[in-house]
Amino acid sequence: MPFMTSPELLLNPVLICRNEAEKCLIETSINSLRISLKVKQADELENILAKKFLRFLSMRAEAFQVLRRKPVQGYDISFLITNYHCEELQKQKLIDFIVQFMEDIDKEISELKMSVSTRGRLVATEFLKQF
Amino acid sequence: MAEAEKFMGSDNVEDILTKIENKSLKIESLIKPYKPIEAIKTALEGYPPQDERCKFANWIGVRKALMAIKDVEGILRSLNPQYYDILMKYVYRGLSTGDRTTCDQCLKIHEKLTEKAGFGCILRSLTDTVNTI
Repeated sequence: MPFMTSPELLLNPVLICRNEAEKCLIETSINSLRISLKVKQADELENILAKKFLRFLSMRAEAFQVLRRKPVQGYDISFLITNYHCEELQKQKLIDFIVQFMEDIDKEISELKMSVSTRGRLVATEFLKQF
Repeated sequence: MAEAEKFMGSDNVEDILTKIENKSLKIESLIKPYKPIEAIKTALEGYPPQDERCKFANWIGVRKALMAIKDVEGILRSLNPQYYDILMKYVYRGLSTGDRTTCDQCLKIHEKLTEKAGFGCILRSLTDTVNTI
């Protein structure tokens, strides 16, 4: 990744924002590209869930190959795709994977939030039955 | 490229800022009576400035013109293809602002512009590190 040694090999980074809360930073160079995502976090609970869920995925970055262990500063998760990945893996499938990831992430976090609320409600009901 | 740099070097920053202000006023005067096509053409013309303040002032004017567009297809049909690349660069600048209304409008324009101009347009906006917006 020629960041430090040769700035002429870097292309213009592209920042795409859907709104104030969700954005995607794409930094390219001649042999690799880094995609960083910031997912929507509407309240404190979604904030915690998103952080934990994405940390879970990042810790297992080796299994994903294209995932980065640590997200870029200011973002929730980062992908690093190198030319080696493009040789081993199909480019179109890589693109589909990333797009699918972005579509599913919001759904996953909503589901997690709902299951937390349901569990909380059940636990509270059971506990308060004794009073 | 060298001639253009020399040209920019001879006007100082204040002159360029004044020129950009005039351009902004002209764009506004074209937006009021619903002439978005001319507004966009005025906004996209002219060599993009090198200085950071000038770039910002220029971007403000272009943003006004972009937000005034209602019929994206119509505008793109009547726009000269030589302006597609520079429009794409401004669209990406708009997308990086994070402001909801700007981003919505820019996403709409981006979709139609990609249909018309193709992926090469996007790639040129990525790889052109010299003439940045």
